Amino acid sequence: MKIYFELNGVPQYPEIEPGESLLSLLRRLGMKSVKSGCETGDCGACTVLVDGRAVRSCITFAAQVRGKKVTTVEGLGSVDDPHPLQEAFLETGAVQCGFCTPGMILVAYELLSKNDNPTPEEVREAISGNLCRCTGYVKIVDAILLAAKWKREGRWR
Amino acid sequence: MRLKGIKRFHYARDVEEALSLLSAYQGRGALLAGGVDLARSARGDLEGLIDITGIGLSYVREDGGALRIGATTTLTELLESKGARDYLAGFLREVLRQVAVTPLRNQATIGGAVVSAHPWADIPTALVALGAEVRWVGEREERAPVEELYHQRFRAIFRDAVLTEIRLPAWEGAFAFEKLVRSAYDIALLNCACGLGIEDGKIAWARVAVGATPHRGRRLTWLEEGLVGEAPREELWSWVRGEVEAKVEVGTDRRASADWRRKVAGALIARTLARAAERQS
Repeated sequence: MKIYFELNGVPQYPEIEPGESLLSLLRRLGMKSVKSGCETGDCGACTVLVDGRAVRSCITFAAQVRGKKVTTVEGLGSVDDPHPLQEAFLETGAVQCGFCTPGMILVAYELLSKNDNPTPEEVREAISGNLCRCTGYVKIVDAILLAAKWKREGRWR
Repeated sequence: MRLKGIKRFHYARDVEEALSLLSAYQGRGALLAGGVDLARSARGDLEGLIDITGIGLSYVREDGGALRIGATTTLTELLESKGARDYLAGFLREVLRQVAVTPLRNQATIGGAVVSAHPWADIPTALVALGAEVRWVGEREERAPVEELYHQRFRAIFRDAVLTEIRLPAWEGAFAFEKLVRSAYDIALLNCACGLGIEDGKIAWARVAVGATPHRGRRLTWLEEGLVGEAPREELWSWVRGEVEAKVEVGTDRRASADWRRKVAGALIARTLARAAERQS
């Protein structure tokens, strides 16, 4: 079957399998920031935004995003032109192996879209469903708080 | 994605079309809203999925002090709704904030929570305490208190029917919710929803439901009856702790032993009741 959806602002008309996961489709389309971790919705590595809301792409059927806007980290920034959230992760040392980082950035993006002055507790709550086995989370919380500060100062897009 | 073998995906336009498609599959089709549980199920018997998110069942409507929630409303939509803010001074928000995490709440629906009704789930416990009513359309329109539904083979009902709405009644009183977990993201070792109505310093009505025992949330009617007519004070909560420890039906699973559950259930229920009482003082 064929569906229409928007990926990082670009219209897409892919052929999909009826039972295919959004994770599988996005990786087929070259979005390698979307990681395949647990594939049961538990680890958060496959998180993407659908119409601005963070969802687990491994337990979302590709067919469910028909007509919707999907955003991956590739849609936020690039190596040459990183998004402030990506810069904040680099500046605070919040990236180690990097496997969880795209998911962390996208749940942080959703949090900051609703609340640009979160408490550390609110940040911890927002990332509580995203597992990181390297950093111990402290630097990730620091990064999101720094990005929030930058957003309040107008350094955002 | 554990679910395999899907050959067709449909987007239903209304309840009738969803029912017609479901019927055509003769048990090999399933309705899909959030899909959180369906995608994770290892069912190998399904061939068709029927997306019902476009059939007009995503809404939260206030009706006096009562609340009507469309079955495909996501937990986030419900959490952020005015209805959830106003209903029982935000009791629903207190429950929903403790259910899973934001990305899963963005996907999961209230209807899915009612139909899946995992024994450890928090929402069934809260709905049982609230006396929620569930409405569905199969061969005809039907309704039942959620508590009654859970005493039947309810999953079989929803293989041939569309759950349409959950209605929460108005209450003159206050509710509170508590759960015991190892971490904020973990599922409950025990959960508890309690409501109290207080008139002239005495308890006029009480609702107590406890879940993850490890069974699905159910009411402790013997405790509710024992509370009516009593003054909400520390002596009463001590009595609650003792009564629950002596009488509550709990079991052992891989998460906790029956002994542990029995010992902490009394404290959990007493604490939840005390919080419900405080909300009215």
